[in-house]
Amino acid sequence: MTTSKSLSALAALVLLGAAGAAHAEADWKRGRVYYRMVCTACHVEKGGSIAPSSKTIAEWTAYLAADKHAKGKDTVKFYVGKKYRDSVKASNKAAEKYADVAEQDLHDDLKAFLSKGAKDGESPASCN
Amino acid sequence: MQRIYIFKRFERFWHWAQALLVIFMLASGFEIHGLYKLFGFKHAVQYHTVAAWSLIGLWVFAIFWHFTTGEWKHYVPTLDKLDAVIKYYLTGIFRDAPHPFRVTRLQKHNPLQRLAYLKVKLLINPLIWITGVLLLFYADWPAWGIGRLQLGTVAVLHTIGAFLMLIFLIVHVYFVTTGHTPLAQIKAMITGWDEVEDEQPAAAK
Amino acid sequence: MPPRRIWLSIVFAVGFALSAWADEPAPAAGANPADLKKILKSTADHGKFKELEGPFASGPDVTKRCLECHTEAAKQVHRTKHWTWEFLNPESKQRLGKKNVINNFCISVPSNYGFCVTCHVGYGWKDANFDFTSETNVDCLVCHDTTGSYKKIPGRAGHPAYEEMEVPPGSGKKIKPVDLVKVAQNIGKTSRDTCGACHFFGGGGDGIKHGDMDSSLAAPDKALDVHMDATGNDFSCGTCHQTSAHDVPGSRYQPTAADRDGAHIRGKADKTNPATCQSCHGATPHKEEARLDSHARKIACQTCHIPSIARGGVPTKTSWDWSTAGQKGPDGKPLIKKDAKGHVIYDAKKGDFTLAENLVPEYMWFNGKVNYTLLGDKVSKSDGITRINWFEGSADDANSLIWPVKVFRGSQPYDPVNQTLVTPHTAGDDDTSYWKNFGWEKAIATGMASVGAPFSGKVDFVKTEMVWPVTHMVAPKDKSVRCIECHQQDGRLQHVGGIYIPGRDHVRLIDLIGFALAGLTLLGVLGHGALRYLSHRK
Repeated sequence: MTTSKSLSALAALVLLGAAGAAHAEADWKRGRVYYRMVCTACHVEKGGSIAPSSKTIAEWTAYLAADKHAKGKDTVKFYVGKKYRDSVKASNKAAEKYADVAEQDLHDDLKAFLSKGAKDGESPASCN
Repeated sequence: MQRIYIFKRFERFWHWAQALLVIFMLASGFEIHGLYKLFGFKHAVQYHTVAAWSLIGLWVFAIFWHFTTGEWKHYVPTLDKLDAVIKYYLTGIFRDAPHPFRVTRLQKHNPLQRLAYLKVKLLINPLIWITGVLLLFYADWPAWGIGRLQLGTVAVLHTIGAFLMLIFLIVHVYFVTTGHTPLAQIKAMITGWDEVEDEQPAAAK
Repeated sequence: MPPRRIWLSIVFAVGFALSAWADEPAPAAGANPADLKKILKSTADHGKFKELEGPFASGPDVTKRCLECHTEAAKQVHRTKHWTWEFLNPESKQRLGKKNVINNFCISVPSNYGFCVTCHVGYGWKDANFDFTSETNVDCLVCHDTTGSYKKIPGRAGHPAYEEMEVPPGSGKKIKPVDLVKVAQNIGKTSRDTCGACHFFGGGGDGIKHGDMDSSLAAPDKALDVHMDATGNDFSCGTCHQTSAHDVPGSRYQPTAADRDGAHIRGKADKTNPATCQSCHGATPHKEEARLDSHARKIACQTCHIPSIARGGVPTKTSWDWSTAGQKGPDGKPLIKKDAKGHVIYDAKKGDFTLAENLVPEYMWFNGKVNYTLLGDKVSKSDGITRINWFEGSADDANSLIWPVKVFRGSQPYDPVNQTLVTPHTAGDDDTSYWKNFGWEKAIATGMASVGAPFSGKVDFVKTEMVWPVTHMVAPKDKSVRCIECHQQDGRLQHVGGIYIPGRDHVRLIDLIGFALAGLTLLGVLGHGALRYLSHRK
């Protein structure tokens, strides 16, 4: 494939993605299941669980934007990503259920749930 | 001494299979009754049920066998020499007196045995079977038109049957040792061949 | 590159991207997955309705808009217990419903409407003069919100916050106004969250009342509830409580204790409760063990399949002693005590509590008939424990099954002279409410006056018990109750009478005689053997 061809294909994908994002309402309930059953499931064992209500909306937003997980050792995006979901889906039903969800969608869902469950959110959420 | 073939192959199989099943069912049954933990309640019930159906199956064959071969005649009760046999076990056995009854192919059980086995066949077994089958199908009692029957009553009768069987088992096992040697009778039930005195036993009376 | 080639490659890319998304048939042109999700969800996107563009000043303003299209919806709601808070038991003729019953949690609704009706599907029920014929006062949003942002505020007679406010007043806790346009445009089916907004929080807080319903069921895993498992079956409440005409089936006032009718089938007119286990699973669901189906003729499914309640990390209240309420701390302020986990176990407003997680239910015969001790019914301290409600049922009754129940024990105020339960005025920012003034006499006088009931002015406390059927938090089958847990003495069913349970029940005399005879027989044959041995040695 020529460079111009692949560029145009890429452009199409980006356009399409943008259109999709514009239409998609972030699904906070899916974010909630992912947060509790993937994030918290692991956090209970390593690092301790973190209640959504332990941070403010601004703090969560900044945290997700900085994308530094475990003090920068890796990224939040990695743990929302398909690769990670694939790696745990054998033992994690939530990861299995959402195995094919687009990374950006799931990331948005997570963000929606954290904003809602934050200390100053619409319904501050504990760990369960 | 003379060797006679007294317990046929099916009879021996039937006896030993029955013996194992009965002992197993006593063990699992008293666990279900709540007296101890052996297999765990769930498994005790499952095994007890499987053993029950096996025993019922075995008995269907045995009844068929008894009637087609005429073996049932060995269980017809008789008073003939009964008191002599009882007297033998109460006194004679300690004096090495000869047994008043001589085993033959036509009469392989002494009158006391006849009575004891008949009691098992006509009293204990039916009691355990009928109550046991009822317990297996207790949910169907209303459909069978016996909905007014009390589960507790049936269960208690079943328990009584179990105790009677346990007592029979104790006595039976002991009497096995009262042959002319302690192991003679068990050998007979394993091989089928019994050794009996050549000459006529001395008159008991 | 010629323009045609560029277009071709775009088409190729789009096609490739679409086919990679899902194994569903290629969607119609222009439908990306997000749109498709919306298209398949409903025939109407409420976000596209001019009527819902707002702005809305209040909840009833939204309802008006809803009713323009859903013309009969409010009339349907008017016919339900969710609206009337009243239920006339056709058999016992008792007038029940939240409006009428007295319980041993927050006790009763009258004179506390402004707070209690936070869980009413309506707006404006602030006193006994509420207009039950008003259609615009039906609250559509509380059940049909999908955003999770619509919340009715205590003390506002069923209204959410329309402007920023402090709740409770003086607490410093600010509540933001609800975005009614956003809520209205995103309207949808009821969900575990909407039903749970009230039913998870019965009794004044998360998990307090039921024990088998709390906020952990909003997104449960399989271990907590096999049906609602958010990663699996993902049932909503309505999957079982299959509703038509807004009338949700499956009531505690007249439950179905024994459903002998089997599974509901399409095309067959099923008049029975669709929320029972049997309405899906039938009467003989145990494929591997027929014996368990036999058990099901006498035992509710719930008895084995809900081994314990409050399993999701939220404790449930097990007792509530109102008689100790009113204590002040060293600082002169109403006292509050918490346990090690931070759960309140004493509150000056309410008295002492006990809480439990993983609570093993109690068990009793139940035929679906529930009776209540109502205001005016005779109550005496000498009776020992006053039964707030009681379940009928017995082993001899073909319609009775052994059910798991949560028994809630308490102590609550009553009138020792008139010998009746009382309806105290607890909540409210006024001179008599108990939670503000801590005086029982004034609070009860106000409450009783509000329903026109006589009050002697004397207050004492009576011990009470209330029974709640357990039916939610169904565990995976490998976690169901083991045989031995009931088939033993001191097991789960130790107090359930009228039935013979192998392993639990014995006729002591029979056992004694049986083993005595067997023992004597053994001694006899051993003695006989010993004599033989000795006599032969001579």
